[in-house]
Amino acid sequence: MTDRVHRALLPAGLKDVLPPDAESEATVRETLISAFVSRGYDRVKPPLIEFEDSLVSGSGEATSSQTFRMMDPVSQLMLGVRPDMTLQVARIATTRLIDEPRPLRLSYAGEVLRVRGSSLRPERQFAQVGAELIGSDKPEADAEVILMAGEALNAAGADGLSVDLGLPTLVAAICREHGVDPQGNDGVLRGALNQKDAAAIKQFGGPAAPVLGELLAAAGGAAPAIERISGIDLPDDAEREWSHLVSVAEIVKRRAPSLELTIDPVEIRGYEYHSGVTFTIFSKSARGELGRGGRYIAGNGAETAGEAATGITLFLDTVIRSLPDSPQPKRIYLPTGSSPEDARRLRAEGWITVPSLSAEEDGAHRARALGCTHILVDGEVSGIGAGGGAPDG
Amino acid sequence: MLANEKLILALPRGRILDEVLPLIGRAGLEPEDAFHRDDARQLRFSTSDPSVDIIRVRSFDVATIVAFGAAHMGVAGADVLLEFESREIYAPLDLDLGHCRMVVAAPGDLVKRDNPKRWSHIRIATKYPEITKRHFAARGVQAECVKLSGAVEIAPALGLCERIVDLVSTGATLKANGLVEVEEIARISSRLAVNRTALKTRSDEVSKWIARFREAADARPA
Repeated sequence: MTDRVHRALLPAGLKDVLPPDAESEATVRETLISAFVSRGYDRVKPPLIEFEDSLVSGSGEATSSQTFRMMDPVSQLMLGVRPDMTLQVARIATTRLIDEPRPLRLSYAGEVLRVRGSSLRPERQFAQVGAELIGSDKPEADAEVILMAGEALNAAGADGLSVDLGLPTLVAAICREHGVDPQGNDGVLRGALNQKDAAAIKQFGGPAAPVLGELLAAAGGAAPAIERISGIDLPDDAEREWSHLVSVAEIVKRRAPSLELTIDPVEIRGYEYHSGVTFTIFSKSARGELGRGGRYIAGNGAETAGEAATGITLFLDTVIRSLPDSPQPKRIYLPTGSSPEDARRLRAEGWITVPSLSAEEDGAHRARALGCTHILVDGEVSGIGAGGGAPDG
Repeated sequence: MLANEKLILALPRGRILDEVLPLIGRAGLEPEDAFHRDDARQLRFSTSDPSVDIIRVRSFDVATIVAFGAAHMGVAGADVLLEFESREIYAPLDLDLGHCRMVVAAPGDLVKRDNPKRWSHIRIATKYPEITKRHFAARGVQAECVKLSGAVEIAPALGLCERIVDLVSTGATLKANGLVEVEEIARISSRLAVNRTALKTRSDEVSKWIARFREAADARPA
């Protein structure tokens, strides 16, 4: 392409966040992370870029195709920009913080970069806020993370939340038991499961088709789904993980009865690195997921077996789309000569203060142009009428 | 947009619609009278159920609209869902109507002298570039697709390409254009498509409709 690119044009999936969105995004991010920090999840901050090998090894293979890569001119090694932060935090937990007592609770917030956006999230750069609980394999740990995420989202103003529980290892165990390869024949069965295509599952599921069909039909509200699936004869290892899921559902239901709970036993897409129960958070007022997480093995790779871990990642862009418009903060214009003490007092009361730089620009007209709703007159706060221009007291 | 509002069902215009309407009638949904009038400019219609509205759109748009959650449910051919392949769409129910097959076809004389094993690149006219590319990539052949919106069968005769990928039901159109079927890519039928978020956040309502449509599909007169 030889044409000059317009200065304002950004690459696909990247954008400038402008006022007032940048501010409200920062506020929501702080609300979410402080909900985690105040529940004992200590904050960590991994770097934006790492060696490709450590970023995509072990569980990271699943996100490999979403990783931007570049060559490090210094070490001559390949670097990757993080497409996700969970595995960075898992790396920290199982290396630098390996001697910390368990369970280890960590939280984080930061930007990630992905090679491709999706139809619902065209953004390639977006912010994640997350929490990881490392070193416990108990259902209580998963429930803690789900409940905490729900409370954090409520604190940020989100409601109408629902949590979908899944168990990606269930399908794998059933396929194994019946000697069916979901990736075989060009992955038709996997594709069918992903799209919940009952007809295609029947067609390509082979000996596993009847039980997969039953699982598919059982997806839905938690109580009926548990009843239905508990009647299905599952392979032993799957049975153990299923009862783990049921315990998580029971704890969550008991402690947060208002949270809508659904179960989807055949959801596997996007849970490539998960090793047990998974959860996805939806809101009635946003398309797409507000967050997702679940059980995985932290720090697994060539040398180590890793430890049991669970965690949640919230996607800030979708969270913000689900929130009602927040009221704009009050903004007051300070004409020249306003006292610094008044200004300090107003800011302490929560006002945003915008100073005038010259006496000619002291009027209400200018104040309105700069987005102020009020002006300081003789040390008194005075509203600016929308049309008239005269202070209305 | 997915809040406590009416559920929207997207139906495809055209041939399939005549088969779909009796089915949704058996499920307890009768569209308002305007729906049946050909001169109606209206695109959204109320139904006998106050909680459900119907919209009538092009078949490819059903997938787009359901994927983005603008409609909660829709009726779409497996061809459209395969082409669109969105993770936001579930297809929990085969409605067992609109049956046809997606095939590769080529002029008869070409088929006689051709050896597909030698291909590294072929040019194909189709409405389904994604399915076509995937199908041939899986056997190591790069498919350059010429995207057409209709009258695909005429492309080889015009020299646009040598082969096509399209839907056939009787095969009469292929024959009339001097084409023969080379292989079948997929068997196609219409599916009930459901938006993923709607299924999670309005689980009870949406599940109820899936069950009703299932009963209606099972109760079809033979």
